[in-house]
Amino acid sequence: MTDRMTLDQFEKALETAGYISERDDRIALTAFLATELGKPLLVSGPAGVGKTEIAKVLSKVFGAPLIRLQCYEGLDETKALYEWNYQRQLLKIQMGREHLQEADLFSTEYLLPRPLLQALLSEERTVLLIDEIDKTDSEFEAFLFELLGEFQVTIPEMGTIKAKQRPIVVLTSNGERELSDGLKRRCIFLHVEPPSVNKEVRILRAKIPDLPERLALEVARAVNVLRERLSLNKIPSVSETMDWAKALLVMGKTGLDAAWVDATLTLLLKSQEDVELFYREMGAGRLLFESSKATQGEKHADGAKHHKS
Amino acid sequence: MPMEQNTINHRVSELDRHLVEFAQLLRTVGLKVSPSEISDATEGLTLIGLVDRANVEAVLRATLVKDVQHSQAFEEAFRAYFATPEQIQAWQKAVEQKTTKWDEQIESTRKDLRFQDNELEITDEQRAVYASLREKDKQRLRDFLERSSQGTRSGIPVDHSYQPMVERALRGSLEYWRKKLNEEDEPILSPGSTDGVLSEVERALREREAEVLSRDLKKISAEEWPEVIRLIRRLSQRLASQVTRRYRAARRRGGLDMRSTLRRNLRYGGVLVERSYRSRRKGRLKIILLCDISGSMLKYTEFIWQFVYGLASAVNGMKNFAFGETLIPLTGKFKKGQTFEEMVKEALNVSGKEWGGGTNLGKALEALQKNFPAFLSKQTLLLIVSDAQTLEPDKAATLLGEIRRHVRQVLWLNTLPERRWLETPHVKAFLPFCEMYECYTLGHLTQILSKQI
Repeated sequence: MTDRMTLDQFEKALETAGYISERDDRIALTAFLATELGKPLLVSGPAGVGKTEIAKVLSKVFGAPLIRLQCYEGLDETKALYEWNYQRQLLKIQMGREHLQEADLFSTEYLLPRPLLQALLSEERTVLLIDEIDKTDSEFEAFLFELLGEFQVTIPEMGTIKAKQRPIVVLTSNGERELSDGLKRRCIFLHVEPPSVNKEVRILRAKIPDLPERLALEVARAVNVLRERLSLNKIPSVSETMDWAKALLVMGKTGLDAAWVDATLTLLLKSQEDVELFYREMGAGRLLFESSKATQGEKHADGAKHHKS
Repeated sequence: MPMEQNTINHRVSELDRHLVEFAQLLRTVGLKVSPSEISDATEGLTLIGLVDRANVEAVLRATLVKDVQHSQAFEEAFRAYFATPEQIQAWQKAVEQKTTKWDEQIESTRKDLRFQDNELEITDEQRAVYASLREKDKQRLRDFLERSSQGTRSGIPVDHSYQPMVERALRGSLEYWRKKLNEEDEPILSPGSTDGVLSEVERALREREAEVLSRDLKKISAEEWPEVIRLIRRLSQRLASQVTRRYRAARRRGGLDMRSTLRRNLRYGGVLVERSYRSRRKGRLKIILLCDISGSMLKYTEFIWQFVYGLASAVNGMKNFAFGETLIPLTGKFKKGQTFEEMVKEALNVSGKEWGGGTNLGKALEALQKNFPAFLSKQTLLLIVSDAQTLEPDKAATLLGEIRRHVRQVLWLNTLPERRWLETPHVKAFLPFCEMYECYTLGHLTQILSKQI
């Protein structure tokens, strides 16, 4: 790394890249730590709080291309690391039976690099996003140890391949299953919670510049009440909040009202069970009432803060 | 220059010492911290600096805490370890006072519990039980010892050879009191650590235990149940979605795996010498749930109901059984709109049994083997929820061993705390044949389900 950033510069760079973070969420500091120490960053937290976004924004900040490995059950090294180009190898075998050496077949020419190997072979620094690592099985997790610890992989036919440029590795997990100690030990850990009202307002305003501040605040408060008061199966994600706000804007609304909440609720709650839970335990009228109450609470809290300072 | 170097080294080693001590404190409260993580923390602090307390906390958290569940323990440990020296001194003093008081009490039990002027051989825990008794009950035990010391047998005064007998009687009595005082399963132990900081962390964590996840399930109040129920449902759904497996390459069975076959045969110049096959798709696990509804489990009734109900609504085709003195099948009795409680009550009415009787796991397992042999296959997960207090434990253990050979896994959720397992002979007998987890808080349940079952 030639030009080292300080933490302040890094925080600014994040903001310039359009990523809103707060001091309390520790996102900037932890991501900075991971990149500076050259360790993989393991990000956990519920779906839709902006885990994947961290990798994307790191790619922007460092001007490094993003290589993404989406994990799923049954993912193995042939899909994640490399695969031999069989067709080409067979053709080669057919073409040159007499003069063929084994080494001819197992060279980089016949290698199909998958995301992990792509990241190691890349001449420039990359950001490697291993998304939803908790979806894979523990064997695959163990297989990653060498990559995450030493930034190298061993291909039996070719030997060990070391990273030309150490990639910035970001792993995300929804916590569906506990990850192994070995994996956790090799990473810097960050847990991301859903954003606070203030932070969400800032995100909304940054991503939807046309959105009036008052409306952004009302939307963020209402979503915050939904997240905190109801035990939803899936809490509304930040992107869903944005969709909701955009819908309001498109329809030319200036504020939330109960009929509108009823009509657009499915933009926030995506399962029938959650919608039923909402009507059973809250309802649109109550939601608006609770969010306006939250407003007062915030005012008090703000007042107290000012008083303190 | 060398002097400056020396100062830096000195400062670094001081930081190292603090970090190692802090890591040790974290280990004591249940976190796993490896040396490589301590080294990461040192590097991180060197990078970020020690000026800002919040930053220091963030660096230590990012490098030493790798699980959200440990977050609270970390926060308390950080608060206590990096408190002001005055505060730490105050904690240390409080602990010392407690320890002195405790030592005095134990010392006085040594004086109290004697047989013909000989000290009795009993454990420290038993002494602690004696020390926590009311004066009246203490007096009763002292009277007993006094009388036995002066007792006679066939007109001859008893000698010291009777001491083991007296000790046995006293141990029995103290064991009774331990159980009685320990209704809540709180151990009566020494005042904990002699270290002020650690004891402060332990105190704060105990206080935090008031939160639902780590509270004993029998202590959860009625108002909190809706929240708990939702948690159980979510956990059950997770369990249900975990029990699937897709195709995997295997030697035989299933269709030919072309890709893997080609790959294996490249070494023979592309001639297909060896073949690889896909394995058959493994079906979903069949779960058999065996719930203890005997008297000793009464306090966990609500938990069991909700657990079974949550699991049944998430996992298709689960077979439910309750057992007390006999096996009570609950299978196939789920009517639409019927609550689980009604279903159990109905099933109990039909079988003429009632909730809260004795336990005989042996009989229940025998009935399961005899009447429902088709349920026990290599795809079966037998889930037992019980505190292992049963009649005929040896028979039950043998039967469990037999069943273990026929099913894929036996999972036992035990509502008895793990620290009591080894002193309960019943539990010891079952341990070789099942994977047993302590499960009396929702936190336990979450942990069990997050380990890929």
